[in-house]
Amino acid sequence: MSQIAGAFSKTIKEFLRERAVLFWTIAWPILWVLIGSFVFVAGAPKEIVPYLRGATTISMLVFALMIAGIANLPANIAADRENGLLAKLMSMPISPRKDFVGRILGLAAFSCLAAALVIAVGLACGARFSTTNTGVLQAVGFLLLVICASAGIGLLVGTFIKHVHGAVMTGVGIAVVTSAVSGMFMPYSALPSSLQQFARVYPTASANSLAIYALMGEEIAGYNPLTVSQVSLTVALSVFLLVLGTVLYSRRCWRTE
Amino acid sequence: MNAIRVENLTKRYGANEVLKGVNLKVDEGEFYALMGPNGSGKTTLASIIASVRVPTSGSVDIYGRKSWEAKEWIGYVPQENFSSPKLTGRENLVYFARLLGYSGSQAESLVNEMLGRIGMSADADKRVGKYSGGMRKRLEVATALFPGVRILILDEPTTGLDPSARRKFLGLVEEVKDKQTTIFLITHLGSDAELASRVGLIDNGKIIAEGEPEALKRLHGLGDVITVETAVKSDKVADVLRNFSDEKRLLETEAGYRIYCKHGDKVLPELVRNLDQIGGKVTRIEVAKPSLEDVFFKLTEKTVTEVS
Repeated sequence: MSQIAGAFSKTIKEFLRERAVLFWTIAWPILWVLIGSFVFVAGAPKEIVPYLRGATTISMLVFALMIAGIANLPANIAADRENGLLAKLMSMPISPRKDFVGRILGLAAFSCLAAALVIAVGLACGARFSTTNTGVLQAVGFLLLVICASAGIGLLVGTFIKHVHGAVMTGVGIAVVTSAVSGMFMPYSALPSSLQQFARVYPTASANSLAIYALMGEEIAGYNPLTVSQVSLTVALSVFLLVLGTVLYSRRCWRTE
Repeated sequence: MNAIRVENLTKRYGANEVLKGVNLKVDEGEFYALMGPNGSGKTTLASIIASVRVPTSGSVDIYGRKSWEAKEWIGYVPQENFSSPKLTGRENLVYFARLLGYSGSQAESLVNEMLGRIGMSADADKRVGKYSGGMRKRLEVATALFPGVRILILDEPTTGLDPSARRKFLGLVEEVKDKQTTIFLITHLGSDAELASRVGLIDNGKIIAEGEPEALKRLHGLGDVITVETAVKSDKVADVLRNFSDEKRLLETEAGYRIYCKHGDKVLPELVRNLDQIGGKVTRIEVAKPSLEDVFFKLTEKTVTEVS
């Protein structure tokens, strides 16, 4: 337990003390919540503006979780490899699995903090959600899938990209590009049909739509993603990415040559 | 019982054989320095002893156990600065203490004690990113001194430190370690290796000589070392110097030359005269006792730093 606590504490402190991490995971999504809430809703009917703001808030929350998992986590792993910490850890009687669990819990805690701040700003900007307790629970579950999928992709990036800058650039690139092409920065209806298909399959985009649907309904989500096939696919892909990332991280980053 | 026992160790990366049948024994409580140039295989050897790499063949025993079964006895300090610059010195040590299984309160009190031992209590709450190179290295050595560690493996710990910080650092290591703790130091600096009780010289994946520092110098028949710097380096100057050197050995350094002869003081006046005759103006000349670098040069015709 103390190994997990040690890795957890180190991970979250490093995230909180790195300006680039704070900018990309907290300041950047909040900036988009502000822009989305006051600029992009200018032509919309007044009665749906609070819900559009709600949708923007959820999308930016998902984006914050994606950046935390896909960019911050691999940067953290790459830094530990580059500065020799992984070699030091390999010489110690500790388990890679416990290190991994500590890191993921640190990531999850930091992601929750970023999510709370993004929601607080969204609510302050007038975001509203029309939902039930069940809808909120469903949305929380879908957001957990975002954390799983993002952490899985992040572990893959951290395993294969050896240097910090490369890991950061790759992670930010994947998060920004996939968010853009899967409708995180624009309404689902504005996407071309091929990208609409991608948005239904790509687990973080699908979980984003599912969370918006659970909190605000089909009109704001743009379609009904709450189908057995889409939910199953999203769960399966998110879990698969996390398991694949975990296995490769444990085997390759902790492998003795 | 040997603290470290290495037998017929080889390590290959594809066609490149980095270690070629290394045999080594280090006793409990001994301060052993392995000295050699970059690429000689010393870091690979240290990392295999620390279980970070696996050998191609051969074995490493730590107090009679296979090295990977003896991780709790090994305190390994890799060459790179592995402490987190975002955390304070205290937080870094608590992190390692927790990884070793200490509870939060046990870790705190143990770390307080260790910070005192390495003389860093006053700077413990500063972020490591603000530490000097020497302070950071001291902290990293502390991560390898937790209770239970019996062998301290230091890989080039003084790289980047000035000479006085180097001596201070190695003095501190001697001071803070328990009497039974064995030190295995990797270095390319003779001055660091001379602090050890026994030195192994490694070149091209093989240990080429081993012994106490003074014994190594005596054994290889190095009398005095004459360091000569002239206004201009030339073949003529080199030829004159070579004639005064035992076995005609001449080492060209960045600033001048070094030669080896039994009675340096006696030949000095004649040497200066001969250099004068060919117009080689001497700007500095010094007779000194040989260093371990000189032993390495005698054995390999290579300088440790030159290859580095």
